[in-house]
Amino acid sequence: MKNGLLIFAGAFATIALSWTGVVLSAHRQLGGLKQFKDPIEESLAPVPLTGLADQGRAVYQDLGCVSCHTQQVRREGFGSDIARQWGTRQSVARDYIREKTVLIGSSRLGPDLRNVGARGYANAEYFYNLLYSPERIAAGMPAYKFLFDVHKAIPGQVSNRALKVTSDGYEIVPTRRAEALVAYLQSLKDTYEYPEAKPFVETPEKKEGGK
Amino acid sequence: MNPPDDNDRAEQLEIDASAKWPVLAFFGSALLWLLAGGALQLGASIQLHTPSFLADCEWFTHGRLAPAAQNAFVYGWGLNAGFAFSLWLMARLSATALRSGGWLLVAAVFWNLGVALGVIGIMTGASTSYELLEMPHFVSLLLLGSYLLIGVWIVTTFGVRNTENVYASQWYILGAAFWFPWLYLAAQRMLIEVPVRGVVQAVANAWYVNGLLGLWFVPLALAAAYYFLPKILGRPIRDYYVAVIGFWWLAVCAGLAGGSRLIGGPVPAWVSTVGAVANFLVVAGVVIVGVNLLGTLAGHVSAAQKSTTLRFILLGIGAFFLTAALNFALSLRGFAEFAQFTLITELRDWLVLYAVFSTAMFGAAYFFLPRITGKVWRAPVLIKAHYGAAVLGILALIVALGAGGWQQGLLLGNEHVQFADITRALVPFLVLRSVGLILLLIGHAAFLINFVWIACPVNFRGTETAVFRHPPALELHKT
Repeated sequence: MKNGLLIFAGAFATIALSWTGVVLSAHRQLGGLKQFKDPIEESLAPVPLTGLADQGRAVYQDLGCVSCHTQQVRREGFGSDIARQWGTRQSVARDYIREKTVLIGSSRLGPDLRNVGARGYANAEYFYNLLYSPERIAAGMPAYKFLFDVHKAIPGQVSNRALKVTSDGYEIVPTRRAEALVAYLQSLKDTYEYPEAKPFVETPEKKEGGK
Repeated sequence: MNPPDDNDRAEQLEIDASAKWPVLAFFGSALLWLLAGGALQLGASIQLHTPSFLADCEWFTHGRLAPAAQNAFVYGWGLNAGFAFSLWLMARLSATALRSGGWLLVAAVFWNLGVALGVIGIMTGASTSYELLEMPHFVSLLLLGSYLLIGVWIVTTFGVRNTENVYASQWYILGAAFWFPWLYLAAQRMLIEVPVRGVVQAVANAWYVNGLLGLWFVPLALAAAYYFLPKILGRPIRDYYVAVIGFWWLAVCAGLAGGSRLIGGPVPAWVSTVGAVANFLVVAGVVIVGVNLLGTLAGHVSAAQKSTTLRFILLGIGAFFLTAALNFALSLRGFAEFAQFTLITELRDWLVLYAVFSTAMFGAAYFFLPRITGKVWRAPVLIKAHYGAAVLGILALIVALGAGGWQQGLLLGNEHVQFADITRALVPFLVLRSVGLILLLIGHAAFLINFVWIACPVNFRGTETAVFRHPPALELHKT
């Protein structure tokens, strides 16, 4: 191969092939995905993020939660995601159109968070406690004390937003960012059953036929 | 390649001298980033087994420290070292001096400014959270602008070549020089400037990450292997005629393989299937490279072990095959189900960045730095320390991430195991990971000391001037 132009044309062709073949094709298929309109209730799903939750998404992004948490539930029978109750169904592409930045993640040093808002115990107080002092709830997770305002409580005038008042009289109040982040985490629940979210289940007949 | 003829020799010295300052600027800043990134990486690694470490300082929270470390490593060390190596080798193989190198110094300043702002940006909260694209958007303009200057220099150096033939290392360097800006520009555009909708972002991100590893880091490592093996052993590449097929094969597959990172994810099945198939097909290309490189090495391993450069290159070649095997395994659905999202996927990327690419750059630097500065390495014991630390560190990380990831996969797959128990079970492996990173850091510090001695323009410690033997003549068959 002596021709420089040939090398360049080839290098161009290879990268153009993968870009159009993978990225642009996926964009063509899914880039225009719209909310699903429930034919009976006439409601739209997925529900968009509230303003506060969208601010929380930005906090999730800037704190790099994606370093240790995925946001994708794999289908029944592929990994233990459903069995661990990380979701009731697999995640589908439509679930993600409500987020401006889609961070499905690639590391599960922490648990999956895609449906963390749907879990029974997931009220705001639970999340605040988790962020302020995770050591008792989630071993391995760092504390996010900087998301809280800790100051001397004035007796009789404790903030109604205070998470708690310590024994030596300090109140711990979530900052605006903590509130936004918790609103985002609480918004994470993919519960609507889209037609395409039907899990793939191998029927017993098929298994026997295959053997 | 280079008959031991005195005219050629003088010309080579001139070429090496012309590359001196740009190469030193890029490689010196690369080394500083290697240490800075390594320290950040160690901090982030310690946080995984001791979560309270630096947790109360927002700048150093794990979710910021980890990507900051990775970006410092990839863009600070990886790209800078790649620039230094590519510029030098391209000038040498094109038998032409590197002209007007002053512009490259300008580019080096702006590139490093961009990386520094990017890393600080991540730590102060401007992270985009897209893997390997976490730096805030404004930095990308600085990086792209300075990259253009560097890339153009690589290409024009090739354009004014005085050789008739174009060698394999040149294909790989040219390819990488062209692929990187395309990948970077397209990813920036699709993820940050005009974000695509929904999971297409995940597809674009996977394409970028896989492309950056497979179309920048791997090609440069291979360029080094294809150059130094014949150069130092004095044997031509075995079955060289198939090298060109290997090159194109790897180029096509590496681009398409990105989707394999999304197996089981919320993307259309064809995306991950295409990626998996590309990772299966790439084996043919890896075999070709194996025939070339291992065929050249066959029977001469002990000779290769005598050269510091080749000892590092051999590590890189070994890791290249290991990476291909791991990519193959992770593309099998059964194994992906088990190992996805564990430390094993981290191992795959780390192997490319460190064991394949960085070792190749170390090897290359041990060859080109004495030649461009005209001085010998001052402390051979530091070279030994660097190599020893690299070998031990790589082994420690392979065990920590491989065995740790295996354990993690087993426990994650069993829904009866509480998540907290998985975290606890991983602690010994994560500690071993920190130990490995400390070892690597020691090796890098040793290398930096030697580098300062050889690169310092003032020779106050009286470092000896280097005298180079003629490279061994190639055993070519006369036709």
